[in-house]
Amino acid sequence: MILDAGAIERLYRSHGHIVLRRARALLGSEPDAQEALQEVFTSLLRAPHSLRNATSVVAWLYQSTTHFCLNQLRNRRTGARLLQSGLAPVPAHVAGGGETLAELRRILSRLPADVAAATVYHHLDGMTHAEVAGLLGCSRRKVGYLLERAQRSLALLEQSA
Amino acid sequence: MTTSLANHAWNACSSALQFDRYLAGELDPSDAERFRAHVDGCARCTSVLNELRDEAKERLPPLRMVPFPGRSRLPLRALAAAAGIAAAASLLLLVRPAGTRLKGSGFALGMYVEHLGEVRRASPGETVAPGDAVRFAVSSPVDVFVAVLSLDAKGHGSIYFPAGGRAERVQAGNDVALPLGTRLDATVGDEHVLGLFCASPVELEPLRLQLERGGPAIPDGCQVTRWSFIKR
Repeated sequence: MILDAGAIERLYRSHGHIVLRRARALLGSEPDAQEALQEVFTSLLRAPHSLRNATSVVAWLYQSTTHFCLNQLRNRRTGARLLQSGLAPVPAHVAGGGETLAELRRILSRLPADVAAATVYHHLDGMTHAEVAGLLGCSRRKVGYLLERAQRSLALLEQSA
Repeated sequence: MTTSLANHAWNACSSALQFDRYLAGELDPSDAERFRAHVDGCARCTSVLNELRDEAKERLPPLRMVPFPGRSRLPLRALAAAAGIAAAASLLLLVRPAGTRLKGSGFALGMYVEHLGEVRRASPGETVAPGDAVRFAVSSPVDVFVAVLSLDAKGHGSIYFPAGGRAERVQAGNDVALPLGTRLDATVGDEHVLGLFCASPVELEPLRLQLERGGPAIPDGCQVTRWSFIKR
């Protein structure tokens, strides 16, 4: 596949919705999802070889989007600490609402990168261990280990939330 | 499965990846045929497939074909470093052409919003809500005196930063968080924000008044970044 700017633009038109849907689900913010959409495809302009070696365009987009979004969630966590250091606590009526997705994002931001990615692929995307192993580039056994770690961490984090 | 995951688990017989690969024509013919046969007999998977097909019809914005220079080299560190670059690329940077202007480039204003307990990077033109907490961060190649002013939809000018009457010194750096955050009031509509980067601690009250009258004129020795957000 020759990945010049025209090819990347065509790829964006045909596959961009996959990235956008995924980023919306993981980030929960339309501006952030739009930024993820742009970033995933412009990263191809900077490093087209990253896709040339992929066996599946869709799988590469899943990997790239997941990686970008999980980084964003971790950065938000840092941003939240800075915000809280300069602000009064958020009133309960503003902060409340039982936002389970927001809670899940906060939990994901606290997990190690490979554990968080395995969690997203297996639980939120419904992938088999073999599919997760293919995306993470590791063995199925390692995937099982990562998911066990995720379960333990999630249970602890939910208890302390 | 824990509660959070159970609430958001994928709800079809094959993974999201398989659905997307099928729709993209990536599956082998035999796998695609098996997939199709299953979906035809499964109401849940038919529903998911139809939803994905509908979502694929969404019209996407133009692709930004020029990557942000240097963005990939920046470390992902405090306060979402990447966010400041994105904001900087979107801001309109006005440079006073004459006099004792602050020289150089690289002055940028970023804004972070906390809504319902989640913090996100705000982009120019973004919608925020009354009660959201906001905090600004600045990037500057040199130590600089900074102020952030705003004009709300009712034409009321205010000074978001600093609390005193003069621009406050901020050290050089990328995405340096300003020490004062604020919570947005109930006035809805378009709000215009000015980030002032000055060589001296300029008086801010005259600028706030000028802002309410349609200004302000950019003071000598200052650069200004402008953006807006929508509050509703």
